[in-house]
Amino acid sequence: MSRLLGAIRGQKLALVGLAVLAFFGLLAVFAPWLSPHDPEEMDAPMLPPTGSHPLGTNDIGQDILSELFYGARFSLLVGFLSAGISTVIGVVLGVISGYYDRLGFTIMRVVDVFLAVPRFPMMVFLAAFLRPGLWTLVLFFVLFGWTKTTRLVRSQILSERNNGYVEAARMVGASDFRIIGRHLLPSTVPIALVRLIVEFQHVILAESGLSFLGLGDPTVKSWGTMLHYAFGYPTIFISDVWVWWAVPPGVCLTLVVLALTFIGFSLEERANPRLRRAWKRGRITDTPEHGEERDGAKSVRLPSKIHAVRPRTTT
Amino acid sequence: MRVAQYLITLFVLLSLNFFLPRMMPGDPLSYLLGDPSTDAPILLTEEMRENLLEYYGLNKPLAEQYKDYLLGLARGDLGWSIYYNAPVSSLLLGRLKWTLFLSGTAAVIYITLGILLGAFSARKRGTKTDVGLLVSVFSLGSWPPFFLGMLLIIFFSFKLDAFPIGGAQSPGAAQAGGFEWVKDVLHHWFLPCLSLVLTHLPGIYLLTRNSMLGVLGEDYVRTARSKGIREHRVLLRHALPNALLPIVTTIAMRFGFMIMGTMFVEVVFAYPGMGTLIYQAGAARDYPLLQGGFLLTMAFVVFFNLAADLLYARLDPRVRRA
Amino acid sequence: MRIIKKKQAMPTLLALLLVCLLAGCNSAPKPTATSVPAAPTSASALEPTSTPAPPPAPEPVALTLPGDDWGYPSPFAFYSRGPGYLRMSFIFDTLTWKDEEGVIPWLADNWDVSEDGTEWIFTLHPGVTWHDGTALTVEDVAFTFDYLKEHQESFQWSWPVDKVARTEIVDERTVTLYLTEPIAGCHVDLVGSVPIIPKHVWENMEDPAKFTAEEAVIGTGPFKLVEYSKEEARYVYEANADYFKGSPAADTLIFIKVENEALALETGTTDYASFWGREIEAVQAFEDNENYGIIGGPSFWVLQMIFNTQKTPFDDVELRRAVAHAIDREEIVEQVTHGGAIVASPGIISPFTDWHNPNLPVYEYDPAKAKAMLEDLGVTDLNLMLITTGGFAREAELVQADLAEIGIEVEIQTGDRSTIDGLLREGNFDLAINGHGGIANPAILRTPTWPAESYSNDEYDRLYQQQASTVDEEARRELVWQLQAIIAEDLPVLTLWHPKMWTVYDASKLDTWFYTKGGVGLGIPIAMNKLIFLER
Repeated sequence: MSRLLGAIRGQKLALVGLAVLAFFGLLAVFAPWLSPHDPEEMDAPMLPPTGSHPLGTNDIGQDILSELFYGARFSLLVGFLSAGISTVIGVVLGVISGYYDRLGFTIMRVVDVFLAVPRFPMMVFLAAFLRPGLWTLVLFFVLFGWTKTTRLVRSQILSERNNGYVEAARMVGASDFRIIGRHLLPSTVPIALVRLIVEFQHVILAESGLSFLGLGDPTVKSWGTMLHYAFGYPTIFISDVWVWWAVPPGVCLTLVVLALTFIGFSLEERANPRLRRAWKRGRITDTPEHGEERDGAKSVRLPSKIHAVRPRTTT
Repeated sequence: MRVAQYLITLFVLLSLNFFLPRMMPGDPLSYLLGDPSTDAPILLTEEMRENLLEYYGLNKPLAEQYKDYLLGLARGDLGWSIYYNAPVSSLLLGRLKWTLFLSGTAAVIYITLGILLGAFSARKRGTKTDVGLLVSVFSLGSWPPFFLGMLLIIFFSFKLDAFPIGGAQSPGAAQAGGFEWVKDVLHHWFLPCLSLVLTHLPGIYLLTRNSMLGVLGEDYVRTARSKGIREHRVLLRHALPNALLPIVTTIAMRFGFMIMGTMFVEVVFAYPGMGTLIYQAGAARDYPLLQGGFLLTMAFVVFFNLAADLLYARLDPRVRRA
Repeated sequence: MRIIKKKQAMPTLLALLLVCLLAGCNSAPKPTATSVPAAPTSASALEPTSTPAPPPAPEPVALTLPGDDWGYPSPFAFYSRGPGYLRMSFIFDTLTWKDEEGVIPWLADNWDVSEDGTEWIFTLHPGVTWHDGTALTVEDVAFTFDYLKEHQESFQWSWPVDKVARTEIVDERTVTLYLTEPIAGCHVDLVGSVPIIPKHVWENMEDPAKFTAEEAVIGTGPFKLVEYSKEEARYVYEANADYFKGSPAADTLIFIKVENEALALETGTTDYASFWGREIEAVQAFEDNENYGIIGGPSFWVLQMIFNTQKTPFDDVELRRAVAHAIDREEIVEQVTHGGAIVASPGIISPFTDWHNPNLPVYEYDPAKAKAMLEDLGVTDLNLMLITTGGFAREAELVQADLAEIGIEVEIQTGDRSTIDGLLREGNFDLAINGHGGIANPAILRTPTWPAESYSNDEYDRLYQQQASTVDEEARRELVWQLQAIIAEDLPVLTLWHPKMWTVYDASKLDTWFYTKGGVGLGIPIAMNKLIFLER
């Protein structure tokens, strides 16, 4: 674990990503203190950016900047909760299905069903029977988010479980539980982390999309609902309102997604065993040119028809 | 045993197909009779309501409707759309061609671009080029698809007046036919395609890059290089084919989600594809149309999953030999 | 798998992109927006006008209008939702019609009604032909009503057809309609909206809703259908030069689907746009532009907050009145509709109509009074569920804030229309914000969906039935006023606002737009009356 963190620290991109994420996180946490107004407070509607309203007001006169800060809360929270829970479920089910064959097969069929179920009616269904809000959304995303993680973890377990140390542990008499917990589970951590980041990204984008379509809870303050009202406004195309109403939440969404991408990208570089090997073995990264000096030796390009390198007796 | 389980999965899916639309609260009549917020109201008596339900076969007991549905499927009859007053199959076909056109062309573009850029990035790994490419590709592709779409419309369609604000073709263009029609269709296709390409490019790019990196670290690449084979040959003949293997299967699976994946872009650009059809059918609770649409979607997913598995088996000599 | 050489890939890609861009720019030219206008035909076209306009233009005129797919425009296949009826009305005629002043003769030259109101005698205008050349006869008229009676489940837009007992042909120009009971406004509601269909086409048609062949759109109207594409939501009409009221002012009518009416009008893609309520800002964008005419019209619609009177706490009328005092409706109109609406009349019927009762009690915004009333009722700690569709979420938020001030907690649940309809029918709510009305007809005062599920009042029903068969207008008005008074006092719903309506049009194309008195047909408030193409 600390090895991974150390690896991240070394990657500049990841640092940038973490910084941006931290920025939005702080924004979300300190929204009540940072916002110039209570986002529910109503002033004159459709004001352009002025002193007391740096980003103007929306269609019912609420301060857009304050909405932006509070919106960070909802969007980030939904993303984090959904990604966290679905990753945990995904790992657990993935390990089980990787270790136990028959159970695994059944779980995979369940995965197939979930993958094929269309999300849209499920969303409407859930929204109608549960109070639309944070937990309904989280439930929705978890329902559809655990499948990919399960598949990936299962592949990992399938290849790991034939490893020497597992055999050894079994011969020593370790229980299944211990084998899974002590040996197999830790090997899933890199994948789980990457999946967490990817799922977080996906949920943030999807939540904004659902809200934009009006399927979320329009009374909640989130970046998605801001976009929903902004783009739904009758004069959206023939006036300049979109500049201060639609662009800020869209940009914030993009920045968060970008930040997560950078973090996930460096994690993946370290987590993927094939990539790691590429790092280590990177000594010969390309074919040297004829006559080029490398590591104190001069390369000589042989005619391509010769397929073996014969040691030369003279230099 | 395995076959039985697959069959059960299929049956579950078909049944879900039937029950899911009906699980959504409300019924087709609300939408059939107009939007109370804009249209003249339809003054419906209970009796008329009953008549309508009977006309559409909606007041039969659920079990009987289910049976009719399964029998219809067996006959290849997808039913009649309540909202559009037309056969479901013709509606689906009419819309599917646009979705296939849009996603298909976008897919060809972003897959090609993604592979080329990804391989290039892998080759230049660590250099400024790599990082620069990485950052640019991701900066363009991290936008929420509907937001990107709207911005493109505002800039290019409205401010610059260079592209239409939506639709697949101008009214009457299909009548004109010939080259004019092709130009018109391309004109409408450009912005939605651009949105799709930008959104999906990073995924393929990253996949290719990582796969290439993994392959570049393999022994056989090192061997090839030590043999003196020219660099571009090493990349194209030795590395890329192996790197593409996992990508091919991922791409094949992605195709499976093509229909719903383009929904946001279709809605924003009012592109008359499957995405908008299902969205509208969902809002209207048009059961037969939803059933048909979901069936098609599921068929796509299943087909491409299978294709992915088969393709992988064929392409990977290790699996083939096994 | 053919592998493109990497070094050549980049230039190839660039070339590909360039081609795409060029394909994008070299498009078929769009209808250009007239930012520099052609000289207007007359001075009156410059000003927003609502008075009758100059005669139809002599040059061939093609008008492009915005819309969506509203179904095949035969009398049975158009979607009952939306302006499908209007699309159909261009092809088919009715016995009577309406203009700015009121009812006018159409296919029927004149008509008479018996003392008891159950016999209506119509005299047909001579020399009218169907689009296929055959003559319109009284047999077609009689057949129409008989056929409609028989196939009542195939359409939903003209409900009193079940009150037609029989038809009788008197002579080759006269036909009598016998009703089972008098229908108030029969000359408008029934006769003024039922399209006359050709007997020789529909005689043996069993399932009229599915009949979409060419013959289904043979009518007597000013336009013929040339093309209908469901997929593209496009309708193309061609003028009927032999129309009995004269050749229409437009030679071609095209309806196309547009995403944004304001934008389409501005770019010249369409020649007309209709706005309502909070779209007022779109209207303001055209106000200073001389090339566009703007007319304002009556809307017959109301946004209301429905109380669930079937269960606590809103089974208590005093509580409903208390809540009425707590809602600041002026603020809602200002903040949410930005002046695009007016505070609604408590009796539902819009003040823009003739049926409006001006003497209704008004519940002033007075939170202190509301609080006091709550205390008197001994009501504390109320927690309510408010349901609405996403479109009125803003109003819901303001109501929530207003009620919070007097100590009532409101939770908002939004859903799509079908969901909300379902909840309304089940009575699964405390408050609901929903719209109603839309036609200028007292019939809207009682429908099965309003306020049936959550309001029952025998006296109200009785009065309603009575006015539905009161042919004398004065007497009917009395009754309708009483109905409104009951609503205003009993408060099953709290009305919020009536939207204003506008039509903005390209004055150089056609400037004869007007708002029909009492709405088109049954009372559709849109300014798309086929009379705009004809001499009036």
